[in-house]
Amino acid sequence: MEPGRVTFKLGDALRLGYEYIKRRRDRAIINVASVGLAISFFSMIVLAEAFHRVQSGGGAGLGVEAYQYWMVAVALAVSVIGIANAMLIAVFERYREIGTMKCLGALDRHILMLFLIESSIVGAIGGVTGFTAGALAALLSAAISAGFSNIPGIPLAEVIGLFSASTFLSILLSVSATLYPAWRAARLDPVEALRYEL
Amino acid sequence: MSFDTIIEMEDLARNYEMGGVTIKALDGVDLSIYRGEYMSIVGPSGSGKTTLFNLIGGLDRPTRGRIYIDGVDVARLDAYELAWLRCRKIGYIFQTFNLITVLTALENVSLPTVFAGVPRDEGLAKAEKLLASVGLGDRLHHRPLELSAGQQQRVAIARAIANDPAIILADEPTGNLDLNTGTDIIDLLHGLNRTRGMTLIAATHDLKMIRASDRIVWLRDGRIEKIERG
Repeated sequence: MEPGRVTFKLGDALRLGYEYIKRRRDRAIINVASVGLAISFFSMIVLAEAFHRVQSGGGAGLGVEAYQYWMVAVALAVSVIGIANAMLIAVFERYREIGTMKCLGALDRHILMLFLIESSIVGAIGGVTGFTAGALAALLSAAISAGFSNIPGIPLAEVIGLFSASTFLSILLSVSATLYPAWRAARLDPVEALRYEL
Repeated sequence: MSFDTIIEMEDLARNYEMGGVTIKALDGVDLSIYRGEYMSIVGPSGSGKTTLFNLIGGLDRPTRGRIYIDGVDVARLDAYELAWLRCRKIGYIFQTFNLITVLTALENVSLPTVFAGVPRDEGLAKAEKLLASVGLGDRLHHRPLELSAGQQQRVAIARAIANDPAIILADEPTGNLDLNTGTDIIDLLHGLNRTRGMTLIAATHDLKMIRASDRIVWLRDGRIEKIERG
């Protein structure tokens, strides 16, 4: 007998990660809300500044204070901690399933990949919804302060750029929050994991 | 080693360190298991049954001695090869079924084929056939919690044989089932052993299961107490 290799293709990992999100919707919603709220705050502050600059004819911005950026940073950090906490609980919940998957041939890095893919999906959803909410809030505040007639003057390229940046940041935060829980899950000893009673 | 031996153990031992004390969970077991055999492993809790199972299943490594599975010295396998062994050579059946709760019966059964690198369509087609063969052809898209205990164990059995393993390792497979369902599961496992020639190794307290087996190994205090013919 010549030992061969085991595989876990990206497509299969995506499908499985998606099932976990769909079936354990409550946890996914908490994670999406956590990162989404922080991202909406971030994009609102940045966009409000950009909108105001346009309205004032390319002159001074809104004058977003340094402390507001500091608050954005704190919000982003809090969301990371929240997601890390929720994902750690998810790992404990799935102890047995992780042990079972290892019995079926999963390698440590397959388990790692599964958790990171799940958090990438959560990050992407949080990024898009968070940006949308933040952009709407910024738009509304700009319209209230300067009237709706100024809206067509909004620099679309900048908005699209910020959208990509927000989504990327959101995925980055979600994935980095999951690194430690996923690492814990990946190096679980299957014997221990199967014996575990929740 | 004779050609029809599938598992060979030589002076197999496994110690655990617990609070500075060495516990000899398994203390020098010599045992040959033959290809196509149905073997029951019996013993009180703490006799080393689970440790022996983990070693046969490639989940643990021995402290002393050797174990060969299909001619391969398990101690010499790296993490990849051990995963491959678990994936292709061994089918696990648990007392608590251990199905993946977010996946359907069909997806659960096809999961081992995913790790084995079988193309998706092929894996799903095979899973469908296997589920039909265990009498669940009409439950393909049910999730584990929508199935009865007996049905869940049938899904688990279909999953265990998805990659045509040479060995089926069943740890108290009827322990969570009522008497009638347990009998059905025993018949199913026995059938697989007879028709597909899979070596069946079962840890059990179930007298019906013990009686159906070819050989019975009695473990006590990490050693073989006696071996009986079934």
